[in-house]
Amino acid sequence: MLLREVEYARPATVEEAIALLSEHDGARALAGGQTLVNVMKARAASPDVLVDLADLAELRTISFSADQSALEIGAMVTNTMVISSSEVEVARPILAEVAATIADVQIRNRGTVGGNVCVNDPTNHYPPLLSALGATFTIRSAAGERVVSAEEFFLGVYVTAVSEGELLTRISVPTRRPGTGDGMAGITLGAHGTYLACAAATVGPDGVRISIGCVAAVPVRATEMEERLADGDLSEAAVRAAAHGLGATLDPPSDVHANAEYRSHLAEVSAVRAVLQAAERAEG
Amino acid sequence: MTAIETEAGTFQKGSAVGQSVPRKEDGRLVQGQGVFFDDVKRKDMGYLHYVRSPYAHATIESIDVSAALEMPGVYGTLTGDEVALLTDPFFQIAAPPGGHVKDYALAVGKVRYLGEPVVAVVAETRELARSAAEFVMVEYEPLDVLVDARAALAEGAPVLHEDCGGNLSYSGVWEWGDVDAAFAEADHIVSIGELHFDRFNSTPLECGGALVEYNRGTGQWTMYTNNQFPGFAAIMMGPAMRVGIDKLRIVTQDIGGGFGNKITTHPQLTVCCLLARKLKRAIQWTEYRTDFHQSMAHGNERWFQGTEVAVKADGTLLGFRTKAIDDAGAYLRYEPLGGVIWSQVAGGLYRWRNIRLEFTQAMTNKAPVSPNRGYSRMQQLWFTERVIDIVAHTLDFDPVEIRRLNFIKPEQMPYETANGCVYDSGDYPRALDMALELIGADEIEDRRAEAASRGKLLGLGIGSTLDSGTNNFAQSQLINPELQFSGNNEVATVKLDIFGEVVVTLGTTPQGQGHETTAAQVVADILHCDVDIINVRAGHDSYWNSHAGFSGTYASQFAVTGLSAVKGAADLLAADMVKLASMVFQCPEEAIELADGFARIRDNHEAALPFMALGAIPNANNAGFPDDPPTMNCRYVYRPAFEVPDKERKFGNLTLTYATQIHACIVEIDPETGVTEVVDYAAVDDCGVRINPQIVEGQVMGATAHAIGAALWESFVYDEDGNLLTPNFYDYHVPHVLDMPPLKTGAFESPSPFTPLGTKGMGEGGGGGIHCICAGIQDALRAAGGAIVTDSHNPYHRVWEMLSHPERSRETIEVTSR
Amino acid sequence: MSTTTSTTRTISVVINGTSYERDVPASLLLVHLLRDDLDLTGTHIGCDTGSCGACTVVLGGEAIKSCCMLAVQADGTSITTVEGLASDDGALTPLQQSFHDHHALQCGYCTPGMLMSATALLEQNPHPDEHEVKVALQGNICRCTGYWNIVEAVVAVGEGGAS
Repeated sequence: MLLREVEYARPATVEEAIALLSEHDGARALAGGQTLVNVMKARAASPDVLVDLADLAELRTISFSADQSALEIGAMVTNTMVISSSEVEVARPILAEVAATIADVQIRNRGTVGGNVCVNDPTNHYPPLLSALGATFTIRSAAGERVVSAEEFFLGVYVTAVSEGELLTRISVPTRRPGTGDGMAGITLGAHGTYLACAAATVGPDGVRISIGCVAAVPVRATEMEERLADGDLSEAAVRAAAHGLGATLDPPSDVHANAEYRSHLAEVSAVRAVLQAAERAEG
Repeated sequence: MTAIETEAGTFQKGSAVGQSVPRKEDGRLVQGQGVFFDDVKRKDMGYLHYVRSPYAHATIESIDVSAALEMPGVYGTLTGDEVALLTDPFFQIAAPPGGHVKDYALAVGKVRYLGEPVVAVVAETRELARSAAEFVMVEYEPLDVLVDARAALAEGAPVLHEDCGGNLSYSGVWEWGDVDAAFAEADHIVSIGELHFDRFNSTPLECGGALVEYNRGTGQWTMYTNNQFPGFAAIMMGPAMRVGIDKLRIVTQDIGGGFGNKITTHPQLTVCCLLARKLKRAIQWTEYRTDFHQSMAHGNERWFQGTEVAVKADGTLLGFRTKAIDDAGAYLRYEPLGGVIWSQVAGGLYRWRNIRLEFTQAMTNKAPVSPNRGYSRMQQLWFTERVIDIVAHTLDFDPVEIRRLNFIKPEQMPYETANGCVYDSGDYPRALDMALELIGADEIEDRRAEAASRGKLLGLGIGSTLDSGTNNFAQSQLINPELQFSGNNEVATVKLDIFGEVVVTLGTTPQGQGHETTAAQVVADILHCDVDIINVRAGHDSYWNSHAGFSGTYASQFAVTGLSAVKGAADLLAADMVKLASMVFQCPEEAIELADGFARIRDNHEAALPFMALGAIPNANNAGFPDDPPTMNCRYVYRPAFEVPDKERKFGNLTLTYATQIHACIVEIDPETGVTEVVDYAAVDDCGVRINPQIVEGQVMGATAHAIGAALWESFVYDEDGNLLTPNFYDYHVPHVLDMPPLKTGAFESPSPFTPLGTKGMGEGGGGGIHCICAGIQDALRAAGGAIVTDSHNPYHRVWEMLSHPERSRETIEVTSR
Repeated sequence: MSTTTSTTRTISVVINGTSYERDVPASLLLVHLLRDDLDLTGTHIGCDTGSCGACTVVLGGEAIKSCCMLAVQADGTSITTVEGLASDDGALTPLQQSFHDHHALQCGYCTPGMLMSATALLEQNPHPDEHEVKVALQGNICRCTGYWNIVEAVVAVGEGGAS
């Protein structure tokens, strides 16, 4: 509780927001605030200027790209909007399914997709999921827009490709093509609690993509496991065999809930479960 | 058998007692109109923020508050040096060596745990007080840190309190019966290397705090606070602050949960008092969650080492011996009382006649411990339950049958235990049967098979506990013979006011237990009137003249101490009302009855005085009475009949009542991950006469939830540097609603023969859930290597370790058979 | 046009039907505005990490945690707190009544937050089943009741069985 003094602005347009973020050193975009405000309460970080994105209606939409190949999620779209979106339901229902397990209703009502990925806490749900789904991230600055992949976007805890004077405006998720299935599995501290380890997977005509959460500062792609599954055999035995040894390749942090060895093991189990879930859905 | 006069049966139930009367408290609480300490405001009050130690152990080299004081809006500061001048150290319950601890309201000279208050800063706003605290410069010289009580007495261990000459706070040998003979008679001796009861607490949702005012004219402080044992706080604070106890007015109304954790707030209240006097303004102190976790009232962590159990071939348990090591944390705020409280239930529900327990308590660089729901008995009960299940597992007895065989039998009640405690009543086999039926124990093998088909390990566990209530404070003399505390008491007043209102005051400090409601039920039955016309004042006020030295709400006693005081005062008022009516009607008192809200002539209901008339006469219309009319203002002090125990033998009755709980649960374990889920739960409670069954059931539910949390998620974990790794609700995961299993409850009543209402204290619950979940995990793991559960706290990673290396725990168990 | 920044801001907010205009520091949490400045002390604080939900209020029809929101962020919104539930004559809402009837509260500290989470749920879903109730209350910690009676109380309202 009890924040340090802070400057505040509430721009009406994306351009103004970018101008504010460029003009002030130590400025930070305030999205839903469900992490940032808590960090400020702990005084673990104290931005000099908060640029509140609340009025930027254009960042609060969910739509399809012109060619219908991607679901375009504005950075200020809340988890609750994702859960109830008919576009998400049609195009990539895993997003809603996972969003519904993030924290709790109140936090889902305020917390945004953009905020979640920009925080990039290793235990967050979206980074590994969006990494597995092959999402891209649109970043705008005074100079224009650039689009980066998940691998390019997530750089570290609280560190992303969004640099000073830039703003994440949109996350684009490929729409699910026939024969594609998505899964996400993990071990949480109590129901809907913090992930101790998790994995997201998508399987389909283009093969398998697996991304592990909680084991490093950024989501970790299980490329070796992906390759072992490239032949298309997604039986339980094949998936388990493909995952074997995955844990040993990881170097996760230890904490009070899981030491590195246990967390590695949980990551491997999560990867198996996520792929099996995705495979089942791909068939169905 | 110790002779205790039977008091039960003097109370005639009317229409209120025994009913689930909806609570009187609820109306204000569901509308957000409760008054918690943080809701109390005063003009120009100053907000207090503590500068806390970032080190677990360090000397304080210097403190500079000047930069903070220069900030506009900062009202002032208080440092340990000032505290050491203005106050004496708090009274210590311990005999030496623990008695040499010098405990002040702020750190003096050194800090002994991370989060210890070092300086208090007071400012115009909450935010500013915190910001100013960041400008207080404290230089520390870090010292070696001691976090493991087992290492506390080793040569070369860092010493917290030099005056104590080491880290020992208390040690004693407790031995009853003929232990050597029991082991000589045994067919099997089961040895258990080490059992560990974990450190956690009940984390009430509201943390500590107060608004404190100082009256300079009278030298009297008023503390609007949430301390749950004002009698104790005042006894601690008065001598330390060098003032009489009447200068300390403690007021509570609504308290956001306590569970024992709000007993030892006297250091912080002392700081508030000193600052209110120094700064000549009201002081507002709000403790936030991280502060609470780092510094307030952790539960007792305890090890049991080298346990040996003497068992007959048929499973009869003859005796045990063990060494208990208890971790008191950095200061002795209520300790070492935990060093005796456990012995209220030394053998749990079983007929152990031969017990030897060497108790050692040490101080460590962790937050001070103080009572936590189930205080000290929960640890001992967990121990006895673990012993039973480990013996059963090892010698292949059925956990149900070995319990049945060794339970104290209902026909043995009242039962004098090996150490002279008297279990007042109970029927443990009946409670067990009820719990097994509720949990569906008959079908357990079918469920196990069904779970196995889903790849899950399933287990059934039983936890048998006692909730001993109404302490005989003379037990404190068993750890310090010089102490002058004994017995127990609580006070109530009941009066009839001018307009016929019945007004009740109590010394208790309810935190959700529904005292306003249950007290009204008792009074209504005695006065033969409706519950609705009984006004029970909310909370505690030391200036009401309805408190005594042991007043408060703690240690499972309200239904005995509080309600017996209420009954006593209401009986006196009823007698007053009858007497006054007889004076008015000029008839013998025997001719008068109280009925339907009137005092009337038994044979002539037309001759009836309403309560309003009875209240008005002594208060406002009292001329013309040849004799003094009764005052209609009655005070009663309830004092249970206790003796001082035999200090040599550590023998005597320590508590008045023993409520019984048998809990049973079904757990499922994911063998791939160790993730453990409680999937079904049953709790049976027998607490004697239930004044309000719904409130009783609510307490059972709450105790169950705490136990589930402690068994699986809740733990205060420190690293080797003394950093608390679970300082908030992110990492200290308390159960949320989706974590809760389905619950079935059962109840029956074995009235206490020793209490005026036949009631027993209840509410703490004895940690039954911890015991049954440990047992359930052990049962589930039987099919996966047969690990033995040796810890009270089994988070996923520990279960995973038991799955991965079952031999590690099995190797700590040995059996020697004749 | 460039937007200016400042450490304070004048905000307008409607709380329980009453309009308030206040100058507030940007650093002030909404919960402190409610409790300390507007004396709406029914909204409580139980943690400092946005975990416990004791500070839950309904903002624009959604349950939110007022400790995870700055007062300035609430500018232009409409908020209901626990004080806004019962009618002026003290008549309880069916939900409040159901909490009372089902012994869904003990110390009462989490109760306002529970009521507000459940109120938002019932507005969106008047007949929730047990699981839906649990999902809606997952962000509210209670340390007294073990939640069982709370869930029962909310389910009962949805079934028209407040009493």
